[in-house]
Amino acid sequence: MDSVAAKPQPVVTITRAKRSRFYWLGRILTYAILIFGAIIFIFPFLWMISSSLMTLGETITRQLLPKVPQWINYVDAWNQAKFSKYFMNSVFITLGTLAGLLITSILAGYAFGRIDFKGKNIVFGLFLATMMIPESVTLIPNYLLIRGSIIPIPGGTWLNKYWSLTIPFIANAFSIFLLRQFFAQIPKELWDAARIDGADHLRFLIQVVLPISKAPIMTVLLFGFTGSWNAFQWPLLVTTNDTWRPIMVGLWSFVNEAGPQTHLLMAGAVISLIPILIIYFLTQKQFTQGIATTGLKG
Amino acid sequence: MTEAIISVPPKKPGTTLHKLRTREQITGYLFILPALIIILVFGLFPIGYSLYMSLFNWRVTKGAFVGGKNYLLIFGSWTNLLITLAGIALIVVAFWIWNNAFKSLNKGQKAAKIIAAVILILGGVIFVTGWGYMYDAGNQKFLNSLIVTLYYALGTVPAEVIIGMILAFLLYQDIVGKDLFRIIYFLPYVTPSVTSAVVFQIIFSLRETSIANTIIGWFGISPQKWRFEPKPLLNLLGLDVSGFLSGPSLALVSIIIYGIWAFVGYNTVIFLAGLGNIPKETYEAAEIDGASRAQQFTNITMPLLSPTTFYLVLIGFIGTFKSFNHIYVLRTPSAGDSVITTSLLIFDNFYKANQYGVATAQAIVLFLVILGLTLAQNKLIGERVFYG
Repeated sequence: MDSVAAKPQPVVTITRAKRSRFYWLGRILTYAILIFGAIIFIFPFLWMISSSLMTLGETITRQLLPKVPQWINYVDAWNQAKFSKYFMNSVFITLGTLAGLLITSILAGYAFGRIDFKGKNIVFGLFLATMMIPESVTLIPNYLLIRGSIIPIPGGTWLNKYWSLTIPFIANAFSIFLLRQFFAQIPKELWDAARIDGADHLRFLIQVVLPISKAPIMTVLLFGFTGSWNAFQWPLLVTTNDTWRPIMVGLWSFVNEAGPQTHLLMAGAVISLIPILIIYFLTQKQFTQGIATTGLKG
Repeated sequence: MTEAIISVPPKKPGTTLHKLRTREQITGYLFILPALIIILVFGLFPIGYSLYMSLFNWRVTKGAFVGGKNYLLIFGSWTNLLITLAGIALIVVAFWIWNNAFKSLNKGQKAAKIIAAVILILGGVIFVTGWGYMYDAGNQKFLNSLIVTLYYALGTVPAEVIIGMILAFLLYQDIVGKDLFRIIYFLPYVTPSVTSAVVFQIIFSLRETSIANTIIGWFGISPQKWRFEPKPLLNLLGLDVSGFLSGPSLALVSIIIYGIWAFVGYNTVIFLAGLGNIPKETYEAAEIDGASRAQQFTNITMPLLSPTTFYLVLIGFIGTFKSFNHIYVLRTPSAGDSVITTSLLIFDNFYKANQYGVATAQAIVLFLVILGLTLAQNKLIGERVFYG
């Protein structure tokens, strides 16, 4: 996003003398709109945090701020409302998915980008085709698959099992595509030099390619993390009890099961948001840039 | 004997190279194998299996083969579908003639435009007739869900793109705290949709003291039922319209407001990237030629941003036709069918009603609708996009 800063500066300086009367009016209007927008975007977050610190009574009478911040709400949400269980489930599911995703997409991305094998383009085309298919189409057969209704699977059924929440997501066309684009650009001379030294593809990949590919791998990790943490439709389908219910389904079921306990619900919402916020603020530039360059819409 | 087995046949010329190539092939296959298995099983196989399921009377377990009956249930009869498709085809033809008339500056232009207009009206009438037949004889819930989805798409996508463009244009100046603004604008997009939808559940609750009711109260409007209101917004405003023109229900409008809030930031960021790609020399040259800021905007910025705009409209439409999570969280039973988009209806038919065969057939129709919209947008808007 650095390029954004490179604004056509001369335009302003030349015209400033001509239209100084309107210049300040324009500036004030610009800031007014930008600040108004910022307030609208951030208000639900502030209100969520504020509500999470209220008593139940205060949430019903819709105070704007709690009289005394009820930090106990977070303890209650964490323990009684079982958000600790859902949160840890999500952590394990996300970590497992990311580990698998890294291995499959680095290997496949490398093969598609740097190795010549028969049928490569056909397989790659098939992979890309899966990106266009809406989830509604694949959801039902996948559900039957993990229930063991189509072919027998180890364990009989994967309903409420860790595997149903991770295995289907440890490879996706988007990550492979992203890494392939990067790996294909690495100069051929590097590979030639490595081969003379007796390296095979795997050693070249680990010792040469990976150290210079931190940025695209980071992007894959970021997208994988948000995708896995935010997942809702599929986990809703395959978790019928708390054993492996992830935080998003937990949050949703809390609304239906616990009734109008807004203060605890909002505390749970804040808890579900914290990991995403930490990652977003830490990698903010790369995060935004990754989305702008890949143009992915979640 | 053992020696004979171990002994290697004498090398022929070219074998080493051949061996190397074979090894390269094997390495390639081994490297893609893990991803291939997963994508084959959970990405490609389900597409074929969906098609297969849609041909059966499948309720939890496989029933009798019914052929195209699950599809027929949607449209009422194949004739209805053909009439509707013929209407769409005529509309496409009309646009094609219109476009070509603009390109060729000859005498036939005016005549071509008149012909195009006639065909367009004809196509429209045939489409509406066919749709009416389908609505009478087919699955009203499904067809209704397509209209709800269309309302949702038309309500969110243009607003997102326009607001995103304005914010990006304002941010793309010498602004103090530019990064902070961008971080804030992008925050709703980064937030998990279930988390933010849960917050909007309470913002749009039917209590008199809810945030939404407080805000409209400032303008002297009486409290509304928001997510729980199945009546169309226009009727609530006192306009006496019915049918398609009555527009989305207030419940759907609530979801549309959420959608705009959540996705404007994404559009802003993409527009910022698009603005960054316009070479500043273009502006300098225009400045020297005496072009005003307004002229620069309409003659440089807008045309050079058109690929970005096109991309955002396309991806926005596809996204709204697929979206599920926040609509599922924000819907209420009392809003009824007025908020059930096609993705939700398919999920309900599958998950609640156990109509697996019907649901897969509907999912495939949804996919074809998305595909058709994508192609149409590519053809109609795509041709007007300036790619430099």
